[in-house]
Amino acid sequence: MVKLDQINISNTGLTKFFSPIEAKILRTLWAEGEMMTSELTERTNIPLTSIAGTLDRLVKAGYATRRIDNINGRVRYVYAPAFSEEEVASEITRKILDSLVDTFGPLALENFSKYSDKK
Amino acid sequence: MNILGEISCFGLCLESSHLAPFVVSLVVISISLLAASLMVRGPKHRLLIFVSAQITVLLAIIATFYLMKCDGMLTTYLYLIYAAMSSILVFGVHRFYDRVMIRRLNAKPAGNIVEWVQGFVSQLTAATVYYYDSAAPRAFAAGRSIFISIGLLEILNDDELRAVLAHEAWHIRNNSRMPYLRQLALMTFSSHKKSELEYMADCFAAEIAGSEALSSAHDKLDKVFI
Repeated sequence: MVKLDQINISNTGLTKFFSPIEAKILRTLWAEGEMMTSELTERTNIPLTSIAGTLDRLVKAGYATRRIDNINGRVRYVYAPAFSEEEVASEITRKILDSLVDTFGPLALENFSKYSDKK
Repeated sequence: MNILGEISCFGLCLESSHLAPFVVSLVVISISLLAASLMVRGPKHRLLIFVSAQITVLLAIIATFYLMKCDGMLTTYLYLIYAAMSSILVFGVHRFYDRVMIRRLNAKPAGNIVEWVQGFVSQLTAATVYYYDSAAPRAFAAGRSIFISIGLLEILNDDELRAVLAHEAWHIRNNSRMPYLRQLALMTFSSHKKSELEYMADCFAAEIAGSEALSSAHDKLDKVFI
């Protein structure tokens, strides 16, 4: 459903899977639901320069959706998260598990069961 | 024949030709025009003088090829092929570029979302305004079309949008001359400054939409594209 290009294990939190700006925008959208671009720049405190390109990317990658809102000739984007935080979390987990099994096969599965026993 | 041999052939043929003084004077004229274009202040005149310098260079190139007596010169063939290929590309791309952009950006007529936009541009030039889906504020003209992003509509008010549209309309009005400018640049291996055209488009925009609207649109867009 969504694109996940690379993982940085050494980063913290969501920035393992997203750029810091992408992570900030996603967190804000999950907290607020629907938001306009101006509200997003204000809330995240990210300048329009950086936020515009990132928003295009998040929409293209499938993490956010947007619709064009037109009130009295004023055109605006209204953004919303495409999936809830839980849905994205399970999707990312599934993708990473898939890639581990793909690379290490039974060895990965063996480690999963050890891991879940430990937990 | 190697390149060094060809260069000495150019020298010999020029020396023995009665057209040599003509070629030399063309070169002198083009150099003085180039110098003049650097000194003139008005962008329109500067551009005109620069283009005249390019035309004289082109004439000098054509005259030099004309008086060559050597057969099968590689440099001449290469230049002619280069000139033919570049004109096919420049004039061909110019004709279809906006069709390509409409498809690539999945652009739709801007009249669908902001009613007055198409009417305003139609008063200035024969062009269709399209909008496309992107948050990055951008406007550009290609062929007979003006493209604006949703991001641009988000940050500009109506007056500022008028200024940007008038600026792009100026480009469309002068679009038929652009391929000649590009082709001249390619054939003389020199290029005019893009800022001169932008300046002239801005003058037109200020005339149509007011200089205040233009400068506030610039301020907003400069903040975006530093």
